[in-house]
Amino acid sequence: MERLLQYVFDGLSLGSIYALLALGLVVVFRGTGHLNFAQGEMAMICTFFTWQFHAWGLPLVVSVLLGMVAGFVLGAGVEVSLIRRVAKKSEAGVFVVSIAMFLGFNSLAGMIWGNLPPEEMPSLFPDEPDDFVRIFGAVWRYEYIGIMIVALLLMGLLFLLFAKTKFGLAMRAVASNPESARLVGIPTGVVLAASWGIAAAMGALSGAMVGGLAGELTSLLMFTPFIYASASATLGGFDSPGGAVIAGLLIGVGEQLAAGYAPGWIGQELRLGVALVTIFVVLLFKPSGLFGSTKVERV
Amino acid sequence: MSLLSITDLAAGYGPLEVLHGFDLQVNQGEIVVILGANGAGKTTTMRAISGMIPRRGRIVFDGQDISSSSPDSIVRLGIAQVPQGRGTFADLTVEDNMLAGAYIRRDEVLADVERWFDVFPRLRERRSQRAGSLSGGEQQMLAIARALMSRPRLLLCDEPSLGLAPLITQELFGVLKKLNAEEGLSILLVEQNANLALKVAHRVYLLETGNVVSSGSAAELAADDSIRKAYLGS
Repeated sequence: MERLLQYVFDGLSLGSIYALLALGLVVVFRGTGHLNFAQGEMAMICTFFTWQFHAWGLPLVVSVLLGMVAGFVLGAGVEVSLIRRVAKKSEAGVFVVSIAMFLGFNSLAGMIWGNLPPEEMPSLFPDEPDDFVRIFGAVWRYEYIGIMIVALLLMGLLFLLFAKTKFGLAMRAVASNPESARLVGIPTGVVLAASWGIAAAMGALSGAMVGGLAGELTSLLMFTPFIYASASATLGGFDSPGGAVIAGLLIGVGEQLAAGYAPGWIGQELRLGVALVTIFVVLLFKPSGLFGSTKVERV
Repeated sequence: MSLLSITDLAAGYGPLEVLHGFDLQVNQGEIVVILGANGAGKTTTMRAISGMIPRRGRIVFDGQDISSSSPDSIVRLGIAQVPQGRGTFADLTVEDNMLAGAYIRRDEVLADVERWFDVFPRLRERRSQRAGSLSGGEQQMLAIARALMSRPRLLLCDEPSLGLAPLITQELFGVLKKLNAEEGLSILLVEQNANLALKVAHRVYLLETGNVVSSGSAAELAADDSIRKAYLGS
């Protein structure tokens, strides 16, 4: 029982990071219909920005916020300068560009920060060995609790933005029917750039939290979380923000349970397999995901 | 006074030119109908006016040249389009569709939502339903209401009768006529259904393969034998 509780708790905490990243994928996908393969690598490079701001002497919280701002600028910049131009010519081209960005950002990080020993990344939350509380026997580390609260808080804010603001309405309108969105006077270009910016800023925050957990920073930082996030977005449905969050949490818990209860044949090494198998099974049996829409419209 | 004045309009898609340079006017308070068969360039004309596609020639609205303006600035100047096939935001609620229609406005818009719900009571009943679940006629009403939410001075309607039962179509045209008579709203309407169009129109343009081949008052065109034969079937 204690063990189960422990796995569920750890899973929810890690899952909230996957959810955050997956939400970024969904925001971009709903806006432009593209899967941004570079989402994880953009998050990674933003985490290096965060680290750099911190290394220059800024408080960590300020550095993370600046990293998110940098992420917004990077995301919006990529959409305006690359994605938009390529999408005009060919949709498949966008796919290639996002793969190219994946490799590009990875190499760029290696070029700028790579030839040092791995940078130490401090955590946003208390992470000494004795920073935990025991609840029903399970160890709840402050860092895990902090991650969960921050991630859920940001996602809550984002849902408020979608549902309650004029800009959120514009985002939903563009996702629903870009042509009509232009006809009612919504500057769709601004909306799309902002969607990419928001996604990258969320990535920057998840990167800072993943980095804090790992304690060090390498260009491989976001590789694994991104695969879990892709699995979450696939499971939840690529056009469903709520689905991405729920699926992120599910996958986090599922991964912990699988690794914990089957240490012999899944264990730490094959955890990633859980994500890949999830993607495979979902695509095979329910390609639109648990909460995604298979578009229905009466004419 | 001419509200919309188009001179030598040419437009198309990529290398394919669809409109070959014609003139068209809409005066303040008029209902003008563009009549034409499939492929004549009616929808292209609408899209060119709204700034959705590249175009050549001069388009002047209310004294301002909008030939190279972006769609959102054209909406801001007071032109709203009801696109062909309604183009509602299918997965947004009816009410959100209306609010999106008022995107360019900064003032209080909720009173306007209620006002158009008075004109289209069925939309009020369905205000929190997703637009995609409405019937074709209801979606067309929503598309018109959404366009009106921007408080346009010129309403562009692209074949509102498409796919609707005759009775619903009649109801819609009644509403358009009333908006024109009571609010002074100028309307540019594209239609294939000539009988219907001639009943509401003040003036008519006949479009064939990207050129205006004939124009005049609705009465003049209805009296023209060759037009009767080609478009009215009698």
